[in-house]
Amino acid sequence: MSWMTITGYADKFSVHPGDTIKFFVNCDGPADYQAEIVKMIHADTNPRGPGFIEEKIQASCNGTYKGMKQEIYSGSYGFVVDKPQFCLESVTLQCWIWPTAPKTHPKYWKHGAQGLVTKWHDGNGYGLFINEAGCVEFRVNDQVITTGAPLRDHAWHFVAASFDAKTGEAILYHEPQIVYALDPEIPPVTKKLSTKLTYAPGTPTVIAGYCGSFSDAPQGKASVPAGILIKGHYNGKIDSPRICNRALSRLEIETMKLGAQPGLSERRNSGPTGKLSEAIVASWDFSDGINTLVGKDKGPYLFHATIVNCPTRAMTGYNWEGQVFDWKVAPEQYGAIHFHDDDIDDARWSTSFEWNVPKGTGSKFYAAKLTAKDGSEDYIPFWVVPRVGEETAKIAFMVPTISYMAYANEHLANNAGGAELLVYRVPIMQQQNMFLSEHREYGGSIYDTHTDGSGLCLSSRLRPILSIRPKYDHFLAQAPWQYPADLHMIYWLEKKGYEYDVITDEDATYDGLARLENYNVIITGSHPEHNSGPQLDALHNYMQRGGRFMYMGADGWYWVHSYHPAYDGQGRGIVTEMRRCESGIRTWRADPGEYYHQGTGELGGMWRFRGRYLHTVAGTGMSSEGFDISTYYSRTPESNDTRVAWAFEGISYDEKLGNFGLVGGGAAGTELDIVDTMLGSPPHTLVVATSAGRHTEGYLLVMEDYGFNQQGLDGTQHPRVRSDIAYHETPNGGGSFAFSSIAFCGALPWNNGDNNISTLVGNVLNRFMQDGPLPMPDPEAIIHRGRADYDQPMNKARK
Amino acid sequence: MIPIPRPSSSDAQRMIKEHKECIDSMKGVAGNSVLKCATPGDTTTVTGGIHEDFQLNRVLLRMRAQPAKGKLVVVCTKVEKEWRIACLSGIRGVPPEFINDKVYDNEQDPQHDIFLMRLEEFAEYDGFPEHFREGWKRRDDMWATT
Repeated sequence: MSWMTITGYADKFSVHPGDTIKFFVNCDGPADYQAEIVKMIHADTNPRGPGFIEEKIQASCNGTYKGMKQEIYSGSYGFVVDKPQFCLESVTLQCWIWPTAPKTHPKYWKHGAQGLVTKWHDGNGYGLFINEAGCVEFRVNDQVITTGAPLRDHAWHFVAASFDAKTGEAILYHEPQIVYALDPEIPPVTKKLSTKLTYAPGTPTVIAGYCGSFSDAPQGKASVPAGILIKGHYNGKIDSPRICNRALSRLEIETMKLGAQPGLSERRNSGPTGKLSEAIVASWDFSDGINTLVGKDKGPYLFHATIVNCPTRAMTGYNWEGQVFDWKVAPEQYGAIHFHDDDIDDARWSTSFEWNVPKGTGSKFYAAKLTAKDGSEDYIPFWVVPRVGEETAKIAFMVPTISYMAYANEHLANNAGGAELLVYRVPIMQQQNMFLSEHREYGGSIYDTHTDGSGLCLSSRLRPILSIRPKYDHFLAQAPWQYPADLHMIYWLEKKGYEYDVITDEDATYDGLARLENYNVIITGSHPEHNSGPQLDALHNYMQRGGRFMYMGADGWYWVHSYHPAYDGQGRGIVTEMRRCESGIRTWRADPGEYYHQGTGELGGMWRFRGRYLHTVAGTGMSSEGFDISTYYSRTPESNDTRVAWAFEGISYDEKLGNFGLVGGGAAGTELDIVDTMLGSPPHTLVVATSAGRHTEGYLLVMEDYGFNQQGLDGTQHPRVRSDIAYHETPNGGGSFAFSSIAFCGALPWNNGDNNISTLVGNVLNRFMQDGPLPMPDPEAIIHRGRADYDQPMNKARK
Repeated sequence: MIPIPRPSSSDAQRMIKEHKECIDSMKGVAGNSVLKCATPGDTTTVTGGIHEDFQLNRVLLRMRAQPAKGKLVVVCTKVEKEWRIACLSGIRGVPPEFINDKVYDNEQDPQHDIFLMRLEEFAEYDGFPEHFREGWKRRDDMWATT
């Protein structure tokens, strides 16, 4: 069964009216396809809701296009284009390696030899490899020597090899850095070879791969360098690779570990000794330029390697001592790059069509809808965002694009056995998941592990992201999640006739307060979990100045993200980075010493552990999650407080709030937030409704909220497994309403938007979108309040 | 460790009946749990199932914890119309394979069929010292790591 013969992406998430957006389409089968721009209104196909709704837009790019297959060449590596200095008669190669998948299953998607340091193509040249059996191998043209000793995975090894053209002698060294009591000795292997090194013209020097083939096909332009297809992608870390122009002795190889070391001569020529200075061809130092896409060569030729597909840097090297945990403080201990065979930073497809977005185009959710006669279809979502100062509405919906990127092309149902424990039922995979399960080149999400099992901490938007699609139910919810779930809110805004703009996380990150301040109210998506620091700054500055905020979901403001600055020249927000550190809900865990972002150098992990508590943003923060079914809310007496009673006009006190919905069957579900004044909820926050006591055993308290393993953490037992709908006033006539459940927006379209959740949200939005400051509460509301101390009578007495 | 009773046992028959009633009651819900909706398709009030049958609860947990290789999943083959059961390969890049030709017209029924298949498939006892093998040292046991 073939899945998804059409896939595509755009060069932008958010595009301004008057600007051009480019679309890149892979059409693998159909001779041609139809493209049309549509406005997205409702993406959920659930027959209990209003169904799928889109509106065709008259656009200059609408039309039929010839289908063309486009390929993604994933897998990271470094390379230097063909240079005569690498075309040696004799050679010595050396580096440290920490392989993660030295031996792979015969059916593994990239089973075969892995290149370490190579200038080799089709039986010409030289290179250090890991062979199919997981042993180090030295190739000299078509001749091979190997130690026959399998590399231990997840351990450092020093490997080196030399070839002497005069004697024909080749020597291969494999020296494990960790040797256990019962490990066999691995002596150097020596062999006389009867060959003289030859080279295929154009062969680049490659780190973590080798030159596989040359291609004139149009698809080959997507590789780097264009037309040269790198193969044999290596999985694991490489530290301090060196190439010398003669066969070094073992002692010289040992000395060469020091690298070029210009400081060892007063003339500052390359070292480490005068003799070795004359031998160095390249001596790379990956600890220099960790936040770049360059592998610095400290040797005399400055053969800086171009790093392709954004491997993970700021990784502990062979010499990491465990005393320093921030690569900026001791970069010399962070000279390793972890390459993965499924890294991808840019699909680099050729442009299929483009659209110059006319001035005056409404700021909404759009997509390029791609269809073929055989029934294939795909949608490429994008958002038209007004320029700062050209806002067209009082309301802005902030599209959580960083969170979309974090979940981009997620593989959990297929790869993580534990996914079923999480969702408490058998996961359901969609066609997008099935396509991705055999197209690993599309890359994974920050929830996944790489194909070598290591954590995936970087995600690019320049690739088809099949999880940001309409008609897509996510296994976590068995319902829409993120993009299609956010369209529940958009449907409601459209249905109720509100004028609104859309902005994205990247707009808020790069434009700051200017992006927000001209709106009376900002509405979030259902799951704004992943955020940059500048975005949080902008939100706080906005609310400090009287801005109003409607937090439509839960699990927001959780993880530290940063856009990788090396991609800023290509546009905004292209690659986002996140490290899963010592706490929080983690599908993988970063290794010790690898908590700091390679892009910005900031500490990763949860914002909570950077001192930015989740609850400070909207008033509530993550308490629990469960994914089987949802439930409903009941009002609390605080909902009758005159400060907030206006929100419940038209809703009786005893009504079940949201015992319906398109996500889990209720408004309170999947991930839940609560008020906690000890974690940053303002002390004057009112809890107006709660789902306490109604969740299933599948719901569990978040692990950052307790210190030791214990029973009683699930929804049938623990009082903090609940969602609190909460309100608090912010300075200068602002306010924040937190609806605190990811499933919440799924209740809005129920009964075509005529329901009590819709009434509640409408009351809040109508008040928040008003011009000017919100009315001040009654004077008696202004009292001293503690964080832990909530003795109201005592506080009132202090007044 | 809670044993997984043989399918023919009275315990298994009781669990099968309860499981089926729960799954049937969830039809129409955009979600699923092994719990019984008081009103079919409406999660306002849910009882029974994993909340009241301790053995069913524990057996399901063990089944859910199975590592990816060979694990059964549901695949939606036509949006909102057709679903099938497939088996995960456990190998990156090798997609799940359908295990049979049966096509379901709702997303809940495969949940019950998978439960029946696992009752047949799973060892009654696993995780005791007599089952020790080297893989236990390398997390290759019957409990997936998350």
